[in-house]
Amino acid sequence: MEQAAQTNLGVGPATLLEIYRQMARIRAVDRAIQSGLSSGRLLFTYWPMTGQESIPAVISQLTSARDYMVTTYRGVHDQVAKGVSLEGLFAEALGRIGGVNKGKGGSPHISDPASGSMLTTAIVGAGAPIANGLAFAARSRGEDRVTIVNFGDGATSIGAVHEAMNLAGAWRLPVIFLVQNNQIAEYTFQPDYTANSNFASRAAAYGFRGVRLDANDVVAFHQGMKEVVEAVRRGEGPVLVEAMTLRLGQHAGVGDSAQLKPEELEAGRKNWALPRTRALLLEAGVSTEEALDAIDEAARQEVETAIVKAMESPVTPAEETLLDVYGDPDVPPRRGHYPRREAEAAPSGPTKSMLGLEAVRHAQELALEQDAAVWLLGEDIADPVGGVFKTSLGLQDRFGVERVRSTPIAEQAIIGAATGSALVGMRPVAEIMFCDFIGVCMDQIANHAAKQRYMSGSATHAPMTIRMIVSGGVGGHGAQHSQSLESWLLHTPGLKIAFPSTPFDAKGLLLSCIFDEDPCIHMESIRMLRGQRDEVPLADYRIPLGVAKVRREGSDISLISYGWQVLECLAAAEALQKEGVSAEVIDLRTLVPLDYARIFDSVKKTRRALVVHAATEFGGFGGELASTIGEEMFSTLKAPVGRLGADYAPIAYSRDIEMNQIPSARSIAARARQVIAFKA
Amino acid sequence: MPTPLTMPRLEMSMTEGGLAEWLAPDGAEVNEGDPIYVLETEKASQEITAPASGRLVHKVQAGQIYPVGTDIGEIV
Repeated sequence: MEQAAQTNLGVGPATLLEIYRQMARIRAVDRAIQSGLSSGRLLFTYWPMTGQESIPAVISQLTSARDYMVTTYRGVHDQVAKGVSLEGLFAEALGRIGGVNKGKGGSPHISDPASGSMLTTAIVGAGAPIANGLAFAARSRGEDRVTIVNFGDGATSIGAVHEAMNLAGAWRLPVIFLVQNNQIAEYTFQPDYTANSNFASRAAAYGFRGVRLDANDVVAFHQGMKEVVEAVRRGEGPVLVEAMTLRLGQHAGVGDSAQLKPEELEAGRKNWALPRTRALLLEAGVSTEEALDAIDEAARQEVETAIVKAMESPVTPAEETLLDVYGDPDVPPRRGHYPRREAEAAPSGPTKSMLGLEAVRHAQELALEQDAAVWLLGEDIADPVGGVFKTSLGLQDRFGVERVRSTPIAEQAIIGAATGSALVGMRPVAEIMFCDFIGVCMDQIANHAAKQRYMSGSATHAPMTIRMIVSGGVGGHGAQHSQSLESWLLHTPGLKIAFPSTPFDAKGLLLSCIFDEDPCIHMESIRMLRGQRDEVPLADYRIPLGVAKVRREGSDISLISYGWQVLECLAAAEALQKEGVSAEVIDLRTLVPLDYARIFDSVKKTRRALVVHAATEFGGFGGELASTIGEEMFSTLKAPVGRLGADYAPIAYSRDIEMNQIPSARSIAARARQVIAFKA
Repeated sequence: MPTPLTMPRLEMSMTEGGLAEWLAPDGAEVNEGDPIYVLETEKASQEITAPASGRLVHKVQAGQIYPVGTDIGEIV
């Protein structure tokens, strides 16, 4: 034990000196950035944390690289104290290949798993749900790691933080929600954005402890944080820490805060942990002016060396554009590049007649059996309910509560927990029930799960699956539970999207998704889950992502579709056959990666194509397919590529409207006749 | 080694900035941290401080707008 008594402060002199050294390093980084930006030597966007240095400096003495950290764009101080290499940090901020994230994330998106800095978000409050996933992974593996998620007082207003704290409380996760209360939310002071500025008090609402600590008093802050970190490490559940501080700088850029009045700024400077700690070290006889000056100078030199080295690294070249979107550089669709992926071998062995929902359940059961990293989460998925569509019935009973967990009704918390656990190698399968609900968790899906590989330059990635139910065409679910929203997701590089049309495919595609290294969306139509039955092999078989399948051979027109609309296309083909028209039906099965090679094979043969989907035609995926087929096969085509999607209206409750506004065998056949009748 | 002063980019969207006023005259001795000019952007105006100590050299006139990266002066 360090001689705490020697200083009469409750914190040993070596620890105090180390806290000062970390603060000096942070200060040196801050000054170098501000001076570099002012002079024009450095060009990047900076959100200064001047005044907040003591928070990570103290925490660095209570945690190690094994402990996980999540922070925000105003988090350079957190990165420095966590142990991210300064050269890598500066190179990243400058967009250089030598950056910790290959220059693809930049200053607001640092990920450095080696130091435990797992994710940095530029979306206010969005790190909190992800921190839960990290904490969950550590606990489920029996590790005593602590996860600390940093955010500002302004972030306490956002829904993601509320959802995350509620879930952490319910699951008793080993996570610390660290509010760096710097008094200002970007440009707005507290009384204007909340009626309760006692942020620590909010923890009680979630059933756990909140403590308010003065971060400007490093001794008190160290003592308070030490107790909290130890309690969380012992497994006593989450704690909300409100660290009182003051941002002395601007929201963005350089210079002093323009929001604080001159007298507030002056008082803030006096109360600032940096000079106060220095004075304390001198008063207590722990150090001398010369020794502290030497620490400052060493920090300044360390930073200067790092900047010089960082600037030697080349700017990340454009050739890197499509690398790190996915693990496999062949996945991003691009003009002229149409890889042909190998189709699956037909699985053998015993089969069982299964509804779609049973096939989905069976895939998850096999995955849980064979890999301890797989876990399921979602609303109502635990037994005895087993999911509102019964897709996980019996799985919690068999695999236990840690591996099959019901969640609060909180989709951001669900996706965040999945993402966080995936970052450290778990394979979560998150169900969000209806796909319409992506609207309330799109930030977690699109800004975090999808982009994390790219933003981190593949330092991290998220092998996770999001299952969602697609209604529409079955009647009675109304405008908010009936949409086919694949186009929202298709517009987000980083996601893979599977949309099976049969129970057989659902099992094989879902298994491929679960064991894929990138975030996968598995869209399951109600018609497939409840209305279709297949002889499904009991063995583990995988349907590779990016392989389309010919469902019916034909020679006059290719009907190209996916999901439950494939069934309507098959029925349309049957009707057309009676009129002597031979329609081929192509089931895409996955939308990303997309199998253009087999689409072209089919259209080469039929020389006509009609793309069909349940989503609205306008702005739908059909436009993308029709355009590419048109460009690549113009001279082959006998008619312009047709599209058929839903009318441009919300899905109506009226059965008459719903059945007419979405394509059906009848309307598909009618549209196919128009394409065939085309005369140039 | 002289420290160059170029029109900084203080916000993501900034493409140009107004050098409203030099706060230290051409040739003045300045200390690191002293305000040296007023920068005006769309959002606000703020004082830019000297990134180093030395003699301030003006290379452009105040009262005009310059693109980010313009060589506006140096400290020698």
